[in-house]
Amino acid sequence: MKDMIDEAGVHSAAKMYVAEYAEGKLSRREFLTRTTALGVSAAAAYGLIGLPAPAQAQDAKVGGKIRVAMEVRGTKDPRLADWPQIANVYRGWLEYLIQYNNDGTFEGRLLESWEANEDATQYTLKVRQGVTWNNGEPFTADDVVRNFARWTDGNVEGNAMASRFTGLVDEATKTLREGAVVKVDDATVQLNLSASDIAIVANLSDYPSAVVHSSFQDGQDPSSNPIGTGPYIPQEVAVGQRAILVRAPNHTWWGGTAPLDEIEYIDFGTDPAAMVALFSSDEVDANYESVGEFIDILDGMGLVKEELVTASTIVVRMNSSSDLYKDRAVRSAVQLAVDPKVVLELGYNNLGKTGENHHAFPIHPEYPTLPPQVINPAGLVPALEAAGLKDTEFEVISLDDGWEASTTAAVQAQLRDAGMNIKHTVMPGSTFWNDWQKYPFSSTTWNHRPLAVQNMSLAYTSTGSWNETAMANPEFDALMAQALAIADADKRRELMVQMCTILQNEGYIINPFSRSLFSHHKDGFAGMAHHPAFEHHHYKWSVA
Amino acid sequence: MGLFVLRRLGVMLLTAIALTFVVFYLTNLQPNLEKLARTEGSVRMTDEAVQDWIAQNGHSGSVFLRYGQWLGVVPGWTFTDEKGQMRGRCFEIGQDAAAAPTYCGLLQGNWGFSTFFKTPVMDSLGEKLAATGWLMLAVMLVMVPTSLVLGVLSGMREGSATDRTLSTFSIASTATPEYVSGVVLVAVFATAATGVSPILAQYGLIEPNKTLFLASATSAMDDITFWNFTLPVMTIALYGIGYIARMTRASMTEVMTQQYIRTARLKGVPFRTVVMRHALRNALIAPFTVIMLQFPWLLNGVVIVESLFNYKGFGWTLVQAASNNDIPLLLACSVVAVVVVLLTQLISDIGYVFLNPRIRLA
Repeated sequence: MKDMIDEAGVHSAAKMYVAEYAEGKLSRREFLTRTTALGVSAAAAYGLIGLPAPAQAQDAKVGGKIRVAMEVRGTKDPRLADWPQIANVYRGWLEYLIQYNNDGTFEGRLLESWEANEDATQYTLKVRQGVTWNNGEPFTADDVVRNFARWTDGNVEGNAMASRFTGLVDEATKTLREGAVVKVDDATVQLNLSASDIAIVANLSDYPSAVVHSSFQDGQDPSSNPIGTGPYIPQEVAVGQRAILVRAPNHTWWGGTAPLDEIEYIDFGTDPAAMVALFSSDEVDANYESVGEFIDILDGMGLVKEELVTASTIVVRMNSSSDLYKDRAVRSAVQLAVDPKVVLELGYNNLGKTGENHHAFPIHPEYPTLPPQVINPAGLVPALEAAGLKDTEFEVISLDDGWEASTTAAVQAQLRDAGMNIKHTVMPGSTFWNDWQKYPFSSTTWNHRPLAVQNMSLAYTSTGSWNETAMANPEFDALMAQALAIADADKRRELMVQMCTILQNEGYIINPFSRSLFSHHKDGFAGMAHHPAFEHHHYKWSVA
Repeated sequence: MGLFVLRRLGVMLLTAIALTFVVFYLTNLQPNLEKLARTEGSVRMTDEAVQDWIAQNGHSGSVFLRYGQWLGVVPGWTFTDEKGQMRGRCFEIGQDAAAAPTYCGLLQGNWGFSTFFKTPVMDSLGEKLAATGWLMLAVMLVMVPTSLVLGVLSGMREGSATDRTLSTFSIASTATPEYVSGVVLVAVFATAATGVSPILAQYGLIEPNKTLFLASATSAMDDITFWNFTLPVMTIALYGIGYIARMTRASMTEVMTQQYIRTARLKGVPFRTVVMRHALRNALIAPFTVIMLQFPWLLNGVVIVESLFNYKGFGWTLVQAASNNDIPLLLACSVVAVVVVLLTQLISDIGYVFLNPRIRLA
């Protein structure tokens, strides 16, 4: 990749994107994702298109306090953490090697940089220099190696990290393989994987992978011994009530000065109606998430809304093991009879962005731009007639309430308008999920994952463990196998163009929209943009 | 009298042991332990990992032995993992296992460690009981005088317009459970969009977009104000007011038909004096018992009200302990419940003797 960088140190493709951005072909977010994936720093990327980088900790006003309404769950050994809320508390003093930012980019925190080899089997991690723990000890490559040993320990019940680093694990002992994580020198750590893995970076940024100090005992509550590298320490963690983070005393944080003096999480339960009352009575300054009709209500109260378009989505998919959908022409006709815009409006109140029937979204670093599909409801009846299914009664299945049901109903209504004899069957969650992969035609929700190939390899390869369409396209499988060995998002995108085209052409999925996440805060606070995984990056927050 | 109190205390101890064993047995049923493992370990654990977790964290073996550990008559469990690290009942992770005591149960003054709150049970429960204490005190201060006045007023002249009006009110209030009256009160007094708040805001009596009262009592944990405490107190008190007022009315009407009241009236004693001096004391014996019995019932009322208003007291703790299967905390809660119920009954029995000389404690 180095040979493509010109004298100014900017990747040639980045310049191409600058031109595309200027012509309005690329959105700001898309531009940033693509250029930072090329190795351009976020600040430089903003600079390329003449925008100031978003307020950084250094520029923000120092001082002040914020009260955030969030469930306060008991903090536990980070690798066991199973809720983002748990991590948002220990995030005050525990930091991560790599951080996933809400524009889809990955940023080195305790790592200065990282590099992968050609087939993503070897990673070289550069440890950030000048980082100290809040007890004065320096942060070194040894700390990184020790944390990898913690994460890969499969003997610990509930270790969320062990299954994500299979390439580093010795299968016999279920612990870190000898020679898998090597300290090269004080500033360099090398990962030697047994198989290609491009999700390493994403996994290192996920909330259970917080880096802990050598004095941390396995299974301990991190707030009882809060030694970390971050700018804050916990003053109080009262489960179910409140958690207070205050500036760590006598600690020079490597990132400069975090603006806020104090962050208080208050647990008011999860009732969204209570949130309205809390904002109006000035009990909180910000909330964790705003949902449904309360988004409008909170808007109406003059609060600042933070919106983030994520890749969490719904897929209304056909399964070709059913005789009804084994014909590709039928599937394509069904897919193209549904207008995503209408589904987004009726099914999800326009709280998202329309999708392109290929399960990849602009927030993904490898998102490809494909020519728009032509929605053609008139093509459905001829296709059904050709397959001899004109008079067959079809059925689409969904969960029994919420936006899943209304989205599926919107799909069904459009198919019926286009001439298909189709009914909508709803099931409660307790029975729906028993057979979710086997229904001939049903809707499934999919969560946000940082890389598009993570979802696609699970769902659409013939061996994918969550394959719910019975799709088995050898060409797609082969492309995916290649893509999963390419750590560079830009190179992966070339394959993604083909994979997404195959997905569209196979016609298995109607993927009408991706959902937005919302939160609100009072005017007078800055840097509180919503995050796709509900991460709170405290050091970005400030009083405006 | 002394013997009576002693016997009552003995019954209390036996009841506490029986109840805690029942609670212990139920919380130690396999599905409950699996739930505990998943909340304490991780929700993503496999089924085998869950079984391992249960075995490695002192939840396997005979249920009687484990109950004995809680009582402090059986040595606390320990476990050494494959790295040689020890954990156990009597010491925290990172502490020296050798220096820890062998027994650490109730008899040693150790109530256990709350798995949900991550603190010793005594610390968290003490604080929560104090919060509920304030709530109960406020409820009693509102409920007792109001209900007695209402009951006496309506019982004075049975069948009068006052009686009918007040009786209707008490029947209505006692027929409305807290989870209904709480929601209605919030809708009427604590919503910026409906109820009385927008009207008051229109007249400029409160700030726009503010509410007359607060629908959440969380801030009352730090600072009780009229604004944040009125609704939870009223929600509990309303139900009790109706109930006690009905009891007082019944007892009052009965007293008012007695011969000595008629004699007093015929002697020309003013009605006011008859009520205050002759009727009231006798009429209050029955309500006294009822009021004392309201305490255990309040424990039940706070469960609903504290959850509804997010007030972190005993009731809320009980809900959290039960929904997270926090074994030591649930056991401590049941001990508290037994003590409150039996202690108030004891007080009511003793007080009865003082109010009614005809009754003697055997």
